[in-house]
Amino acid sequence: MSDQENTLFLLGTSHQVASLHDRETIGLPNDSIQKFYLGMEKLTGLEECLVLNTCNRTEIYGAGDDSFKIEYLMEYLADFRDLELEFIQKKTYRRTGAEVVRHLFEVASGIDSQMVGETEILGQLKKAYDDASERNSTGKVLNRLFQKSFQAAKWARTNTGISRGQVNLGNVLCELARRIFGRIDQCRLLVVGAGEVAESALEAFKSRGSEAITVTGRTFDWCPLSQRKPDELAQKFDGFTLAYSKFHDSLHLFDVVLASTASAKALLTKAQIEVAMKKRPSKPLFVIDASVPRNVEEAASTVDNVFLYNMDDVSTIANENLQSRLSEVDRCRVALSKRALRLWEQMRTYPSLPS
Amino acid sequence: MNFHDVRDLLWLATACYGASFILGMVKTRHRFPNVLQESPFLLILAGFFLQTRALYFRGLEIHGCPLGNGLERTQFILWSLILAFLLLRLIWRLNLLGTFCAGVSLLLGSLSLGLKKWDFPYWQADGYTRLFKDPWIELHASIAIFSYGLFCLLAVVSMMYLSQRQTLLSRRPGFLGPYLPPIQELDAAAMRLLAVGVSFLTLSMVVGIMHWTRHPEFVSHIKLTVTTALWIGYLLLFVMRISNRLYGARFAKWTIALFAVALLSLSLVSSKTKIQAYKPLPSSPLAYQF
Repeated sequence: MSDQENTLFLLGTSHQVASLHDRETIGLPNDSIQKFYLGMEKLTGLEECLVLNTCNRTEIYGAGDDSFKIEYLMEYLADFRDLELEFIQKKTYRRTGAEVVRHLFEVASGIDSQMVGETEILGQLKKAYDDASERNSTGKVLNRLFQKSFQAAKWARTNTGISRGQVNLGNVLCELARRIFGRIDQCRLLVVGAGEVAESALEAFKSRGSEAITVTGRTFDWCPLSQRKPDELAQKFDGFTLAYSKFHDSLHLFDVVLASTASAKALLTKAQIEVAMKKRPSKPLFVIDASVPRNVEEAASTVDNVFLYNMDDVSTIANENLQSRLSEVDRCRVALSKRALRLWEQMRTYPSLPS
Repeated sequence: MNFHDVRDLLWLATACYGASFILGMVKTRHRFPNVLQESPFLLILAGFFLQTRALYFRGLEIHGCPLGNGLERTQFILWSLILAFLLLRLIWRLNLLGTFCAGVSLLLGSLSLGLKKWDFPYWQADGYTRLFKDPWIELHASIAIFSYGLFCLLAVVSMMYLSQRQTLLSRRPGFLGPYLPPIQELDAAAMRLLAVGVSFLTLSMVVGIMHWTRHPEFVSHIKLTVTTALWIGYLLLFVMRISNRLYGARFAKWTIALFAVALLSLSLVSSKTKIQAYKPLPSSPLAYQF
């Protein structure tokens, strides 16, 4: 390994090398980031540094002069988190030079994520970069490296299939609603029950601008699935509550109906849906049955303009999309590797020039 | 390749539509370099230009609107389809509509060119007179054919609707489903196309009736019956749709079926036998369909 390669380094841990418990142990509490940065300033030879701290990974990127050694950082991290150095050595990975560039490109593009192709990591990476820039802890090396990694991530998502299709259940539901109605923000959503899936779906719909959210439940007492009152759920998402006794009569007013209760019998029958569809004949109705046992009669799927999905259907789509993404990972990795090598060569040849 | 030969030009246009269709399909799955992003649309434009040139040459050859045989009528409808697509594209866009239009143009274009009997040279027959001596009947024919183009586009949109619906009902991601427009948008587009198509067809009927009342001898009963039946069919479809008595998949299937009937009726009322049957009338405009 040449000295030049030592100027760029990475120390990190992620789901690839450490269990959730280990990651929690090594990960930095949000209120200690400032202190961690201050401590790093004292490390011999360290010129630039950036901390990426998410629920799935903790990574420290840095650039130093010849006097810097990555062991200093490991010792500092172990000391900071009050851990054995051996534990840190075992549960972290160390990279230098071109390997750092390649790793960062893979992280930014989402192929190193637990949920391959997810886009959240890019936002977290940008936030970490902004944070480090504000602290003046980045310089010409890390600035250049991170700007290029954002470009590489964009390239990977555009030119390969790693982000194709939705893999999160809430997002899959939104994608299905988009294919039926077009604009999610104009969909009127009714949630029956207040289970985990309901919340995930509400989050996804809300993040896409959905305003007309209504929640109802068999009782307005504690919901047996999640121990959360439906009106609390409605409040959380700026929605409305609807008396359960009125929900069947109001069914035709909604575009998307999500049933997520612990009821042992069907809450929506084919006949009830047929009655609702007579009041909105040309408008489709998207019914999601997120309950086990099912809350919507399967026969309702035969009603014209009704699209009924249960959780098995949604999971199948999510899994098939994930498989499709995974099949693209190798192609993406090879392409990113080439880009990373090219950047690293440029960084070595023209260390002070933008590439 | 002769760029003054009608059939060569039409084959080339069909090839452009075919290439556009293939590239459009490939584009759904694979990202093209920026310079090639618009290639499917540019190929449609090239195909439209070549088709226009071919129909223009044929028009010069027959001294009128080229609607005299199966090939001409099919190509004219396809030309109208692409024209309608290009015009409507300025107002609203639907994902993959161009690709589907190119696919239909490839299919019907190849069929019409492949069946050589469809392109019988009626203008070389003894005693041939111009198809449309009366400019009113030429206007009637042109408007009617344009409305057929709109109905063809309506059938294309309905096919897309049925594909999207089928993918959604299958509860699988599907090959095209994620890339097709939402079914509600397709439904709205179909409604608009039907309204515009019926308006044009009604206009052509009004112009045709003006001609018919003056020269009833030039309009055969079968042509009159078929044309009126089609007009009533589309009008009825429009009324049923607007009153929400026919919608969704059944509406989409009806639009495709009615367009198929319209296409079949073209050949039914314009067979060569009938042309010969009309030949004794020296002043006949030979406008069997329109």
